Amino acid sequence: MTLFTVAWRYLQGRFVTSVLTIVGVGLGVSLIIATFLLTRGIREGFIEGATDYGLIVGAKGSPTQLVLNVIFRMDAPMPNIPFRAYEDLQHDPRVEVAVPVAMGDAYQGFRYVATTDAYFAPFSGRRRAPALSAGRFFRSDVPEQPTYEAVLGADVARRTGLKLEDRFFEGEEMAAYPLTVVGVLRATGTADDRAIFISLASYWEMNELSRRAMVKPLTAVLIRPKRLSDLAALHRGWNVAPDIQAAFPTAVLLNIFNLLSLVEDVLLVVLGAVVIVVGLYLFVTMYNATFERRREIATMRALGARRSTILGIVLLESCALATLGGLAGILGGHGGAYLGAALLAARGGPPTHALAVNALQPVTFGAVIVLGALAGLLPAVLAYRTEVAENLAPL
Amino acid sequence: MRHSDRRRRIPARPLQWPGAALALLVALAGLPLVPPALGQEIPRLTFAQLGDSMRANFGLTQGILAFSGREVEIQGFIIPAGPPDLSFFLLSRVSGTGNYCCELPSGQDETVYVYVAKGISIRYDPVRVYRIRGMFEAGHQADRSYGVSFFRVRNAHVEEAVGARIFKEEKGR
Repeated sequence: MTLFTVAWRYLQGRFVTSVLTIVGVGLGVSLIIATFLLTRGIREGFIEGATDYGLIVGAKGSPTQLVLNVIFRMDAPMPNIPFRAYEDLQHDPRVEVAVPVAMGDAYQGFRYVATTDAYFAPFSGRRRAPALSAGRFFRSDVPEQPTYEAVLGADVARRTGLKLEDRFFEGEEMAAYPLTVVGVLRATGTADDRAIFISLASYWEMNELSRRAMVKPLTAVLIRPKRLSDLAALHRGWNVAPDIQAAFPTAVLLNIFNLLSLVEDVLLVVLGAVVIVVGLYLFVTMYNATFERRREIATMRALGARRSTILGIVLLESCALATLGGLAGILGGHGGAYLGAALLAARGGPPTHALAVNALQPVTFGAVIVLGALAGLLPAVLAYRTEVAENLAPL
Repeated sequence: MRHSDRRRRIPARPLQWPGAALALLVALAGLPLVPPALGQEIPRLTFAQLGDSMRANFGLTQGILAFSGREVEIQGFIIPAGPPDLSFFLLSRVSGTGNYCCELPSGQDETVYVYVAKGISIRYDPVRVYRIRGMFEAGHQADRSYGVSFFRVRNAHVEEAVGARIFKEEKGR
């Protein structure tokens, strides 16, 4: 009979306690894994979904709100800016690409994004331009003759079940302006997957106020400069205006990351406490188990078992509990992260890449086994030092 | 018998290993204090030097071109014009945000395109001055992702420059 078999039999002998210990360790590890996967996933989701445009021009107010709304389709839309701002930017010699964007209401929770075909066009330095998986892009219509054509993001098509040529609207007042699906985009892993793209002309005609307005409204203009070194001057130029602001999307994201890292610091302290609790729980379990079987240990010693054998059995038990708890925790942590990411997505949060496998899993697994060994060390030493004569005395 | 065996296994000079380990630790701790190129100080470039080096038709002075291919140090504000992991950004004499009252934004002549070395983590603060060290390149160049530039620092290491002064020095002061 090997040392491992003896240790395993001991664990089976106190089945309920062993299972509860494994569940306890597993829960602690799950919490650690899920927290790391989600916080890192949110950060990577923001990076993945970041725009390739260097500047966003919108109404005066919070740059964070502007970027979150226009790029990530989160938060409330900013007030409108006049279409003239777009025309000025289009004629600015420093600007290579200017894309007008107007944020509308939503269909089943998916926002309408009104823009031009420039939104889908590739340009120098663009990591990926939106591409079609079916159909075509909407036509560039004139304001007086909107076509009410819509291009769906991949998630919208999947979750609403809308197909090419389907007509849809939401709300009685929109019944007069049904949109027709003419295209579906390929999945990009960005907020574009959760948007319904329509032309500006359709958007203006669907909105009662803009229909009558002489000055057509926009939410923002996305800018790619010819030279990056002109970004600062463009940013300054628009920010000194009384009613319009310009924001660096990357700067806004970095400020969000700075806030996230504060939260991560707090979480690290909490997770540190979880590690201590898990370690103590393992220690108490092993200590009690060793204490209860002093007589058995003394018998084994009397039958010729060496002190090192007893030490090894107790350490193996502790490590086995930690290993099984660690494995359960890693699986549970991935499940928790998956649920968290789904919950975030359902609430309109950023796309979260929460199931990445990297150094986190093996490092955590190794650390749990080391923790198990450390927690079992004192009980193992107590078992090692068990006096035969003292513990074999008649009861 | 056992005792004698154990005694025989004990090394003759047991303090050798701890002593050697301690010496190794001290040597490793002292490594960052050794300059990267022995006997050579890293030259520090200023935005005034960069601005003064510009000539007609994308030309640059021989003085600034002499730094090309060498490791240099430059201090300035970060303008996050690239991806949010800050693997690339612009370094400018003037902060990208704020300072609306007193400084005009800088242009091509006072902007350095910084390509950060792998594994460097930067905490972005728009009003903080950063010290950049890396391989300097001068000359007109068009990059597919980031467009035209005159001054670049590649494989850059970035740190906050506490108490740094980077304002352009007026001539005659």
